[in-house]
Amino acid sequence: MGYLDQSLEKIHQDLKEHKVTVTKLVEEAIEKATKLQKECNAFVTFTTEDALQKAKELDQKEITENLFFGIPFAIKDNYATKNVLSTGSSRILNNYLPIYESTATDLLNHADAISIGKTVLDELAMGGSGLSGATGVVKNPLDPQRLIGGSSAGSCAAVTAGVVPFALGSDTGDSVRKPASFGGIVGFKPTWGRISRFGLYPFAPSLDTVAFFTRNVKDSAYAFDILNGYDNKDMTSFNFPKEKVYSKIDGNLKSPKIAVLKEIYETISNPEIKNKFDHFFNQCKKLGIQVDLISIDKKLYDTIYATYMILSCSEATSNNANLDGVNFGNYQDGNDIDKAIIATRTNGFGELIKRRFIFGSYFLSKENQDKMFLKAKKLRRLIVEDVNRILNQYDAIVLPASGNIAPLFEEVNPTDRLSDEYLLLENHMAIANFGGLPSITIPCIEHEGLPIGINITGKAFQDKEVLNLAYALEKMIGGNKK
Amino acid sequence: MNFETVIGIEIHLQLKTKTKMFSPALNVSKEIPNTHVHPIDMGFPGTLPRVNKKAVELSLIACQALHCEIDDCLHFDRKNYFYADLPKGFQITQNERPIGKNGYITITIEGKEKEIGIERVHMEEDTAKQLHYSTFTLLDYNRCGVPLIEIVSKPHIRSGQEAAAYVEQLRNILLYLDVSDCKMEEGSLRCDVNVSIRPYGQKEFGTKVEIKNLNSISNVEKAIDYEVKRQKALYLKGQPIEMETRRFDEASKTTILMRKKTSAVDYKYFTEDNIMPIQLDKEWVKQVTSNLPELPHQKEIRYQKEYGLSSYDAKVLTSNKSMMLYFEQLVKFYHNYKIMANWVIVEMLGYLNKNNQTFEQIKMKPQELAQMVQYIDEGKISSKQAKDVFEHLMCSEKTVDEIIKELNIVQISDDHLLLEVIHAVFNEFPSSIEDYFAGKDRAFGFMIGQIMKKTKGQANPNKVNQLLRQELEKFKK
Repeated sequence: MGYLDQSLEKIHQDLKEHKVTVTKLVEEAIEKATKLQKECNAFVTFTTEDALQKAKELDQKEITENLFFGIPFAIKDNYATKNVLSTGSSRILNNYLPIYESTATDLLNHADAISIGKTVLDELAMGGSGLSGATGVVKNPLDPQRLIGGSSAGSCAAVTAGVVPFALGSDTGDSVRKPASFGGIVGFKPTWGRISRFGLYPFAPSLDTVAFFTRNVKDSAYAFDILNGYDNKDMTSFNFPKEKVYSKIDGNLKSPKIAVLKEIYETISNPEIKNKFDHFFNQCKKLGIQVDLISIDKKLYDTIYATYMILSCSEATSNNANLDGVNFGNYQDGNDIDKAIIATRTNGFGELIKRRFIFGSYFLSKENQDKMFLKAKKLRRLIVEDVNRILNQYDAIVLPASGNIAPLFEEVNPTDRLSDEYLLLENHMAIANFGGLPSITIPCIEHEGLPIGINITGKAFQDKEVLNLAYALEKMIGGNKK
Repeated sequence: MNFETVIGIEIHLQLKTKTKMFSPALNVSKEIPNTHVHPIDMGFPGTLPRVNKKAVELSLIACQALHCEIDDCLHFDRKNYFYADLPKGFQITQNERPIGKNGYITITIEGKEKEIGIERVHMEEDTAKQLHYSTFTLLDYNRCGVPLIEIVSKPHIRSGQEAAAYVEQLRNILLYLDVSDCKMEEGSLRCDVNVSIRPYGQKEFGTKVEIKNLNSISNVEKAIDYEVKRQKALYLKGQPIEMETRRFDEASKTTILMRKKTSAVDYKYFTEDNIMPIQLDKEWVKQVTSNLPELPHQKEIRYQKEYGLSSYDAKVLTSNKSMMLYFEQLVKFYHNYKIMANWVIVEMLGYLNKNNQTFEQIKMKPQELAQMVQYIDEGKISSKQAKDVFEHLMCSEKTVDEIIKELNIVQISDDHLLLEVIHAVFNEFPSSIEDYFAGKDRAFGFMIGQIMKKTKGQANPNKVNQLLRQELEKFKK
């Protein structure tokens, strides 16, 4: 089958034993990527030549203990990569070559990982379907009739298909953790502020988090070790010492307690799926984990989706105001500067995000700020306070990452958007963004041959604890089966 | 009908920092356009702001000197609008929580002091500079991101004269603090004025008109005086005064409509989430704000005490930082402070005004002026000669001694020489001696004049006076 669907540790071992070379790994990644591109449209840009060149150089070097040495990876196209097209999957940036490198990709480059290309996302990370990228729809490698989810669609598809063992995504609502569920892989969003956002195109800075996909939990732990730490280019990155958690992830838990939020969990409409998750929680109990189905204030949690939309659209309308074609991007001419800006933005943005900008503008306007934007901020605080109250009593909140398998393209919105199942079950993961909490999705159950993930969310700065619990559960479940 | 004028002034001040407000690009004016620009200044996607500590420090200093309450937790907001000179599509500013508020400064108008309240002082970033040509506009991003503070006065100002005094005093304080170049003509200090009028006794403010582009203090006064006249005329004709932005036109000395403010822009202010609130260390704030340089009014008091200057002289000397610095050099070299102050205030200022120069352009070293005053006191040169020497000193780098030599104006104080001249005059005009003893005062003056003529004005007047009387007394015997 090849190497790239193996764990980092296994690949590294074989590299050390010279069973495989970095060049061979990169060639395998490119070959698989080319195939995936035809089937699923995961990439915007390939950096094949640079990747092969770097592989050649690394093959001359002595292999270090660094597990990322020579590992091919993919980058969501909303990270600025120096001299490499960085489009944000938007027509407005279809010619944009940054002159700077994002901190996250810079750290990966310095760790001798090798980028093979930039992946498709929902335009400027706004969306959860993988349908709205400027270069077209991203399909699910497990079943091309289905979507992979978004916004980190291409990166998720690439890891799901075993093209690369690691791919960078970004997570503002659940943009890594939801697709991970549909791809049957691991998606980890660390604590907000632990990884520098410098160079990540902003969607909603108070929610945006550098996040990523791997095929197993320990690989995520390793990626976290590479990426976390203070960066003087990002004033919101915490000035804590760099953390090394990989070696501490052993799956040993000390009297673990997890909370399942009853009003959310019970909205699963498919009884078969519900049964499978019940079974999972029973297994947890057998493992010695205390599983409590706890009741929450449903009225408060019902507002998650609205709160998320108001906050993220409001922030987005301002964060994307730089895309006016004046200094960079796909400029469209006009009679005067105002008309040129209007023409550039009218032509450059897709319909869906224009709608979000209009919403955002509306929420922020003088007459609505109190009623909407500021109210949403209050709700966010109330939700976070309640979640933190629960997390003071439990090691984590554990809930299905989705109520169902990846939807078919013809049923993009299979769930009624005003139903409890949609408002609560399909949107609860934004809680982690509200509170900046570490949150991970790992593959959990299968239904009709397709995966659904389980999501684990812990206290802020307890990235290690969340990873360790995820690792224990992964061992119990049996890991990625594909 | 009598009207009261109500004026509020907003000042944008570029801070003297090494780098920009939120980026590491250098903060330099007068450089080749677009040579000091960082990706952050260009609003490139994914770049993030980093707060300049020095800018915070200078803002704190300004707040302290303007007697503001200081907020030691920094909050930044976004002001959202599209404009070609604003790459991010928003300006980072402080809307909700300015770093300083409720301050004041004291101005003096015709000897009377008045306090002008300061509503707020907040930090923000400058926009790119637009250079308009007939068919196109160029942008200079060197200015984009330069640290600014905006100082907003309370509507306490009542006339163009007060407004000019306010800006002048504020500018002087800021110059003393060394937080900014404060050059209005170059835009490092920019002044927008809000003017409204109301009949005396009316509580509500009238409709305010904003005047922009005031590039000198005298234009502030002229623009307001014109605007008040314009508004009164409208009012008396029963026409409405509209909310609008006008600019001052130097050629016609009038204000000209730029735009109506009918549809006010909604800037959709909200918090800048890329900068979390920064709690300043209280010790650091204390350290920064407790080491302010001596300010104009403090110097004014000290000059009266230490140098025995009149309150008028002390005020004039401290009203201009460069003049103050010149004077403080002078006092190191000689002790006749009153006379030296007089030379600076009357002769030097007069010379500079006449020749349209500033104190920075003076070539004369302070020790030379001090030396000159000392020579007068010692009788080496007369006050009249000194004026000549002074004129020469102002436009050369020579010393007093060199000038005196060059002008051949050494004062004759030698008794023998002077006695010879006196006796020569006696021989030539014997009738003057008789006139003198007949009680004709003019005769004495006449003889002095003749002596001066013979010595080409180089005779020491005191000495001549003394010797002439002495010799005349001899005739009495």
